[in-house]
Amino acid sequence: MPASPKPERRPPWPWLLLAPGLLWLLLLYLLPLLGLVPLSLSEPLSRFGLETVFRGRVATYGEVLGAYGPVLLRSLRTAALATALGLLLAYPLALWIRFRGRRWQPLLIGLVVLPSLSSYLVRAIAWSSLLGDNGPVLAIIHGLGLGGMLEGLGVLRGGRLLNTSTAVILGLTNSLLPFLVLPLVVSLQRIDPRLLEAAADLHANPLACFRRVVWPLSRPGLSAGLLLSLIPAAGDVVNPRFLGGPNERMIANTIENLLLVQLQAPRAAALTLVLMGLTSMVVLLQLRRGGLEELPLP
Amino acid sequence: MTRLARALLLLGSLLAMALLYAPLLVTVLFSFNAPRGRFNLVWQHATLANWRHPLQDAALTQAFLTSVGLALAASLLAVLLGGLMALALTRWRLRGQRWVALLLALPLTNPEIVLASALLNLFVGIDLPRGPLTLVLSHSLFCLSYAALTLKARLAGFDPTLEMAAQDLGAPPLQAFRRVTLPLLAPGLLAATLLSFSLCFDDYVISSFTAGDTITLPLYLAGAFLREISPQIQVLSTLVLLVSAALLLLATPRPARPPHDRAGA
Amino acid sequence: MTRSRRQLLRQLGLGAGAAALAPLLLQACRPGRGPAAGGGGNTLVMSSFPLYIDGDAPGAPGSISRFRRETGIDLRYLEDINDARQFFARIRPQLAAGRPLRQDLVVLTSWMAQRLIALGWVDPLPLEQVPNQRNLSPSLREMPWDPKGRFTLPWQSGIAGIAYNIKATGRELSRVDDLFDPAFRGRVSALLEMRDTMGLLMLADGQDVSRPTWQAAQGAFQRLEKARRDGQIRRFTGNDYQNDLVTGNLVACIGWSGDVAQLAIDQPDLRFVVPDSGGMLWADLMLMPRGASHRREAAEWLNWVYEPREAARIAAAVQYISPVEGVRAILAADPATAALAASPLMFPDAAERRRLHVFGPLDEQEEARWEERFASITEA
Repeated sequence: MPASPKPERRPPWPWLLLAPGLLWLLLLYLLPLLGLVPLSLSEPLSRFGLETVFRGRVATYGEVLGAYGPVLLRSLRTAALATALGLLLAYPLALWIRFRGRRWQPLLIGLVVLPSLSSYLVRAIAWSSLLGDNGPVLAIIHGLGLGGMLEGLGVLRGGRLLNTSTAVILGLTNSLLPFLVLPLVVSLQRIDPRLLEAAADLHANPLACFRRVVWPLSRPGLSAGLLLSLIPAAGDVVNPRFLGGPNERMIANTIENLLLVQLQAPRAAALTLVLMGLTSMVVLLQLRRGGLEELPLP
Repeated sequence: MTRLARALLLLGSLLAMALLYAPLLVTVLFSFNAPRGRFNLVWQHATLANWRHPLQDAALTQAFLTSVGLALAASLLAVLLGGLMALALTRWRLRGQRWVALLLALPLTNPEIVLASALLNLFVGIDLPRGPLTLVLSHSLFCLSYAALTLKARLAGFDPTLEMAAQDLGAPPLQAFRRVTLPLLAPGLLAATLLSFSLCFDDYVISSFTAGDTITLPLYLAGAFLREISPQIQVLSTLVLLVSAALLLLATPRPARPPHDRAGA
Repeated sequence: MTRSRRQLLRQLGLGAGAAALAPLLLQACRPGRGPAAGGGGNTLVMSSFPLYIDGDAPGAPGSISRFRRETGIDLRYLEDINDARQFFARIRPQLAAGRPLRQDLVVLTSWMAQRLIALGWVDPLPLEQVPNQRNLSPSLREMPWDPKGRFTLPWQSGIAGIAYNIKATGRELSRVDDLFDPAFRGRVSALLEMRDTMGLLMLADGQDVSRPTWQAAQGAFQRLEKARRDGQIRRFTGNDYQNDLVTGNLVACIGWSGDVAQLAIDQPDLRFVVPDSGGMLWADLMLMPRGASHRREAAEWLNWVYEPREAARIAAAVQYISPVEGVRAILAADPATAALAASPLMFPDAAERRRLHVFGPLDEQEEARWEERFASITEA
C-alpha cells in the first residue's frame, strides 16, 4: 500500500470502481427518499389517479401524527419490549458461548445464526400453530396452572396467546435474538480473559465481575445489537400482521395500508418520513457513543 | 464462577436456544403431519406422504424457483457492485471516503418499509412496471450495503504484502490481484453472496411493494393463510433448513486442533 | 498453491455458471408474455380469487384442464387476487397510464367492478360471441353496477353471514348480536370487506343498506369500534377466517357461504347462517381490463362457463350461488349432488331472497369517508 500518495497523479481507478455502486445508491436510495418529501407535501388530484399536485401542504404531517401517533408509540414500545426480552436472553447465551464454549464457539455461533436463515413467514406460520388456542404452549401453561398468574401479568389476554401483544413480542424476539447475540459475542471475545482473572484474584464475586468488567467492556456489542434490533423491530410488518390483532397493528402495517389499500400516497410518504426521522435519531445517538465497527458481519 | 451463576447462565442460554429453535422444530414436525382440510396448523397424525410428494404444491414450487432465480441475480449484482466499492474504499485513501461509507451504511439504518415505500414511489413515478426487474433492482440495493460492508471488513484484514510480494516476483498488478488476492478473498466473496442471497430470498416487505404480479416464495407464503397451508410448505422449509445448515457447517472453521497434531499441509 | 488455484477455478466456474443461469432463471420467472408483445392467439390470462373454481382431482380433471384440452386455448388461470383493494392498487398504475394489463379477464367484486367501469378502465365484453349469455339468471340482469350488461358477466354470487362452530358455541347462532356475546369474547372476527361487515351490522340496526347514508352507519361504526377496543373482536380478516375456524381460534365470525360449505365437508361442526335481521348478497363479476387483446379466447371461456353443465360442475365445487340458469336441475338429477340442489344457500327461493340485501352504491367522496372510518377501526 503506497504510504504517501502523490496528489497530482492519483489514478482514476478508485472512483471508477466506486461509480456503479454509488450510482445505484444515488438512484435507488437517495433520490427516491428525497422524492418522498415533496410527495408528502402534495395532494392527490383525484382519488384513483396517480397524479399529485405539490401544494406545500404541511398539514398532512399534523393529520398523520394525530391519526397514527398512538400506533407509532405502540411500535416503539413493542420494539423496546422485544429488544429488552431479547437482551435478557441474549446475554446469558453470549456469555455462555464466549466463556464456556471453548472449541465449539464457531459451531455454537453457527447454531445461533441458522434460524435467521429460515423463512420469516414459515416461522410466523409455526408460531401460529404453537400459540394457537388449541396449541401446545397454552396447553402446557394451563396444565401447569399458570394461566391465572399470566393473565394477571397481562401476558395472556382472555386466556389467549395468539393475536395478543405477547405473541407479537415473542415473534419479534425470536427474529432479533441472533442480531443481539452475535455482536455481544464479538465484543466479549475482545475482553482479555486476564482481566477476569485479575478481578477474581481481587475477590470479586461473579455479579461484581459482570457489573464492573464484562458489562462495560461489552457495551460496544450492546450498542451494535440494539441498533440492529430496535430499528427492524419498530418497522416490522409480518409479526403484527400474522400474530397480532387490530390492537397490535404497528406503524409499518399502517404505511402499507395507506399506500396499498387507502391509496393515500402523500400521507404514506409523510408517515414514512416521520418513521425515518425517528430511526435516524436512534442511529445518530448510537453513533455518538461508538462507531460502526461492531457490526457482526461475516 | 459459582454454581448458581453457572446454572443461571445455562438456564438463560437454554431458554434463548429454545426460543430460537421452537418454530423450526414445529416446522419440521408438521412436515410429517397429515392435515385435515387445507390448513396444516393442527397436528393430526404422522405420515410420510408429504415427503414422498414434495412438489405436489405446484404454485409453491414455482414461487420457490422464482425466488431462487431472482435472489441469485440480485445477490450477484450486489456483490459485484459492493465488492468494487469495498476495493476502492480499502485500497486507496480517498477524499470524501467517510461520506461514501456513510452513504453505504444509511440503507441499513432504516426499516425496510421506508425503502419499500420510497422505491414504490420511484417506480410509479418513472412509470416502470413492477415485476422481476424492479424486484432485482430493489433487492440488489439493500443487499449492496451488506455486501460492501462485509467485503470491506474482510479486505481491511487482508495482508497487502502478499500482493506486493507477487509484484516483486514480476507479476503485473492485475495478475497479482487475480492470482493472489482474489482466491484469498473467495471465502469473503462467498460469505457476502450467501448473506445477500438469503436476505433477498427471504425478503417480504420490499417484495410486496415492488413485485407487481411476480410471486416470490415469501409472497406466496403470506397468501397461504388466505388460501391453503399445504404440508409441502413445511417440507420445503425443512429441506432449505438442511441445506442452510450444511452450507453453514462448510463455512464454519473447524474447532482448532492443538499444534502438535498438525500432520503437515 | 495448487489448492487455491483449484479453489479459484471452482469459484469462477460457479460464478460463471450462476451468471449464465441467472438471466435464464429470470426469463423463466418473467410472468408470461405481455399482451402487447404477444397478441399471439390461443392464450388467455385470467386472474381470480383463490379456490374459486373446481381444481383437478385424481381421475377428474377440473374446469381449467378440460377447457384447455377441449378448446386448445392455453388458459393461464392465476389465483392471485387475495384482496380486491390491494389488487386494485397493483393494477392502478398501468390502467391509469393507459397500458393494458397482462390479464384478459379479471374476477372482481361488483363495487370494485363498478369503480373500474366508472374510471373507463374496462373494455366491453365480447358478448356477441357468447351465445350462452342468455343463460344468465334473470335476478342478475340490469344490475346497478352495469345496467346494460355490456361490461360484466357474473362469476358467482354469495352470501355474507355468520359462520360458527356449533361444538364450540354450544348453541345455534342466529343473530348478529350473537357475535357480540361476551361469552365469545376474543374468539370472534369480522370481515375486512367493509360492505359485508357494515351491511350486516346496519341491518341488525334496522337501517336500510340499499341506500346507505353516513348517518345511518354511525351506530354500526360505533358498535364495531367498541367491540374492537374491548377485545370482543379478535381480528379483522379476509379469507383467512377459514384457518382460524378450522384451528379453533375462532368460535364465530362473519364469513361467506361457499367457504363455510367447503370447510364443513371436512369439519361438519362448522355452520353458516343468514342472520335474522338479514344477510348481505354480493356478486363477483368477470370483466375485461382495457386493452386486453385476447377477445376471442375470452369469449370462448365466457361461453364455456355459462354452459349449464360446466357451471354445475363449478358450482358443486365452490358451493356458491351460480349465476347460470339450469344448474339446479343438473345438480338435482345427480344423486351425488342432489343435496346441494336443495341448499337454500346455493339456491335461495323467494322467501330466502327477501332476507338477502345488496349494499347500495357509495359515491367517491362517501366511499373515501367510509373507508377511512372503517380503517380507523380495523387498522389503528
